[in-house]
Amino acid sequence: MKTNELCADIGYLSLNHFGEQLCGDHVEVLETPETNSTVVVLADGLGSGVKANILSILTSKIISTMLSAGLSLEESVKTVVETLPVCSVRGVAYSTFTVIRITNNSRAEIIQYDNPKTIMLRNGKNMELAFEEVNIAGKKINKAETQLMENDVFITFSDGVEHAGVGLSYNFGWKREDIVDYMSTFWDVGFNAKTLSTILLEHTDSLYEGKPGDDATVCTVRIRKREPVNLVIGPPANRDDCTKMMSLFFAKEGKHIVCGGTTSGIAADYLKKELRPSLNFSDPDIPPTAQIDGCDLVTEGVVTINRVLDYAKNLLDDNNAYQKWSCKKDGASLIARMLFEDATDINFFVGKAVNPAHQNTDLPITFTIKMQLVKELSECLEKMGKRIKVCYF
Amino acid sequence: MKITVCIGSSCHIKGSRQVVEQLQFLIAENKLKDKVELSGTFCMGKCQQGVCVTVDDEFFSVSPETVKTFFESEVLNKL
Repeated sequence: MKTNELCADIGYLSLNHFGEQLCGDHVEVLETPETNSTVVVLADGLGSGVKANILSILTSKIISTMLSAGLSLEESVKTVVETLPVCSVRGVAYSTFTVIRITNNSRAEIIQYDNPKTIMLRNGKNMELAFEEVNIAGKKINKAETQLMENDVFITFSDGVEHAGVGLSYNFGWKREDIVDYMSTFWDVGFNAKTLSTILLEHTDSLYEGKPGDDATVCTVRIRKREPVNLVIGPPANRDDCTKMMSLFFAKEGKHIVCGGTTSGIAADYLKKELRPSLNFSDPDIPPTAQIDGCDLVTEGVVTINRVLDYAKNLLDDNNAYQKWSCKKDGASLIARMLFEDATDINFFVGKAVNPAHQNTDLPITFTIKMQLVKELSECLEKMGKRIKVCYF
Repeated sequence: MKITVCIGSSCHIKGSRQVVEQLQFLIAENKLKDKVELSGTFCMGKCQQGVCVTVDDEFFSVSPETVKTFFESEVLNKL
């Protein structure tokens, strides 16, 4: 099946009910490459704590697995209804859910049961989805479908987000329109889906004054063009391969990041351009960047990449460092923005030369560490949903 | 006169930022901005002797502790 140039950037984050260790909301993302479809399920289990946690995990796992396997919505919902354990206190088994199913990166189906209606922004403007109600296994389910366009943003959330601030900043929580207004200011900044979810959740948390009265979860889906970014780090093991490595690297479509002092020297020689290091320490711990005409970014190697790896791990976790890397000008923040926000496909060109000067010192930048950094970073980026290729030289 | 400080990985860990900042300060303090050009470079290939610094083409090994003496003997004295 031929697909368009679009892809979905999906990112979610949860806030636990104040005092709870487990979250009663759960998000499950399942990609099926064979049918080129992606199913995202956000489930909100009844109550909070461990029961809600189990209900939401069961619901989201069952629905995502069944829908991805090509089973009908009816069957999936029936299975959920029949499987969920009944709460002994309340006598009901209950978990609300929202499904976003994307097919071929060209159509999206939104299926909702009792969750707040998904917000759709098209070019930053609110676009109401045309929901129709269907009855499945005695449950009223809302369905909508839409054709996808570049820059479409879907923001779906549990009711804990809407209820934020009840009795504190607002009488009845902030309204859907307020959320639309708030989020439409950020849609074109370039933030990735995870960061957009984080931004909404940070505001939710502040409306709750840091003590959420309910589990709150946001899941954002951004429809965007695929964009390749290439990163070269380290000279090749055999110095005769420099030209080969550089010609393959610069032949690639997309942005080009050169990491490492020696490596940038090799890149500058290959391009026959001057290497111009700056002396600007925007971050005291990260060495300054440099410039070479023809490269989008030139940085030092191991120290910088180590910091990028820290940011990547943080993004996958609670993402509370995005305010640092999303605006700062040091090498690590610049790489982080290019890899985490701009890129969808990343090609690593890794040179396996052992820098003799590094090995004989007691400095923490040995060859093994460099290889380990690249490996861990590419694993993190894969978890962010990026397609990664690593070539060694 | 041109002073070049290595800002590569190894020299960075050994304190090239402090060396750069102190040199920037000393140059400003002695009002030498139009006589001394301070620039950075990536790896000079002598990581073990870092922080690597060259004055015109002469090599020096400097540390954040020795910058001041280095500046007095190799820069101020030779201008």
